[in-house]
Amino acid sequence: MRAYLALLRAGFQRQTSYRLALAAGLLTNAFFGVVRTAVFYALYRERDQVAGLDVADALTYVWVLEGLFAVVWAPWFWELAEAIRSGEFVAELLRPGDPYLRLLAFDLGRTLSVLVTRTVPTLTVAALLLPLRLPATLGGLALLGASLVLAAVVSFQLRFLFGSAAFWTPDYRSLFMLVFPVLWLLSGFVVPVDFFPGPLRALVDWSPLIPLLMAPVRVATGAAGPALATQVAWVALLWLGGRAVLALASRRLVVHGG
Amino acid sequence: MAEHAGVYLRLAAASVRATARRPAYLVVRFLSAGMIVGIEVAGVVLMLDRFGSIGGWRPAEVVVLFGLAFTAQGLALVFGDTLEADKVSELVRRGTFDQVLTRPTSPLGWVVASYVDTRFVGRMLAGAVTVAWAADRAGVAWTPGRAGLAALAVACAATIIFGVLLAAAGFTFVTVQGSEAVNVLIYGGQYLASYPMQIYGSALRFVFVWVIPIGLAIYVPALGVLGRQGPAGLPGWLAWLSAPVAGAFAALGGLAWRAGIRHYVGTGS
Repeated sequence: MRAYLALLRAGFQRQTSYRLALAAGLLTNAFFGVVRTAVFYALYRERDQVAGLDVADALTYVWVLEGLFAVVWAPWFWELAEAIRSGEFVAELLRPGDPYLRLLAFDLGRTLSVLVTRTVPTLTVAALLLPLRLPATLGGLALLGASLVLAAVVSFQLRFLFGSAAFWTPDYRSLFMLVFPVLWLLSGFVVPVDFFPGPLRALVDWSPLIPLLMAPVRVATGAAGPALATQVAWVALLWLGGRAVLALASRRLVVHGG
Repeated sequence: MAEHAGVYLRLAAASVRATARRPAYLVVRFLSAGMIVGIEVAGVVLMLDRFGSIGGWRPAEVVVLFGLAFTAQGLALVFGDTLEADKVSELVRRGTFDQVLTRPTSPLGWVVASYVDTRFVGRMLAGAVTVAWAADRAGVAWTPGRAGLAALAVACAATIIFGVLLAAAGFTFVTVQGSEAVNVLIYGGQYLASYPMQIYGSALRFVFVWVIPIGLAIYVPALGVLGRQGPAGLPGWLAWLSAPVAGAFAALGGLAWRAGIRHYVGTGS
């Protein structure tokens, strides 16, 4: 346990040391957030509620999205796949302890750093300036915090699965390029999934993409219970899936080079 | 630079041939780039259809803006992708740029022609298809004048984005590391220009019409294409201004690029 905590701390420190990238990231989030905010204000000028969302829900969606962007689409997305392709990943299998947990601990350290340095400041400033719908009680805020951390865990678990494609093919990036546009839409990063047509939305609600963005948005705007339950269920399922993939892959791992 | 045009064309063709050695890879990059445009547009249409209009514009009219902005951005990045911060940074850190400076070609020509990413060709074409599709849905009756305005919008906005890339590259020569912050203008500018300008506050509108005039370049000609009146302060005749403004902006970017090269000292690698 101590080893995993140390890895978590190391991941946190590693990510926190990229100061310039942090500033550029905050600027990018702020800019897109402002544009999206203007879009929703204009859309809701003559409407109170559309597809169950009012303007406060929509603005909350915008700023949770901006806050979580770098958590879900982590800049280090391909590190695992590259380590697998180069063969460095073998060292990971030789180290003591559980490789999946070790990777999770280090990754979670990095995403926690993003949560602290990007998500929380972005959401706080937005909440001070705009009528967001955020929990007003400490308990509610704690649930939102838990939901953001769960989003970070699921994001690692999904990135792990995509990275694992490198065990089977060196063309893992091409594969991902073809699915990325679909993930981008269905996870709600283009528009809230609430605006999807009924059948599509029902389908998406049962997908592991919901815990990444829409679940935290729902926790923030009031439907905490079911959203958190969905996240926990997916963490458990993806945990089993990730471990199964790792077990399969370690057996057929081919290391190129000397 | 013009007298070496043949050299640059051969360089660019060689880079495309190199990618084409793996046709499947080429096709995937191309398709994926097109899909991103299609998906983004699909999402926006789903949302706008729920609301019916934004700033008085119908969904199809807004999608014309999306298409124009994507086309322009794709066009700019077909040429300017190698000017992005991470790529220039690598050029400097590896010492490759030292060699570029000793060659009897213009450094800019070499950097631009050294690699053509087919992804952005896909983005550009998908953008153009989007314009055609949305214009049809918006009931645009194409005339030579309107087609000319659409082409003007794409050319001017692409020139402006290219100018931003030039200036950013000049900056990267000095700082070596470069900053991803420029993506705010390249991707954020495209996103902002995809919605009608009247929905933005006066500060944002001023910046993107007059300072980084990508809003001027897309929005004002689009008014003509769609046969619409602009809001107060943005009359349709401003479209005539967008070409000289875009040219001047790119020239400023070129100056920044030159200043960057003048301060370039290499990394000793």
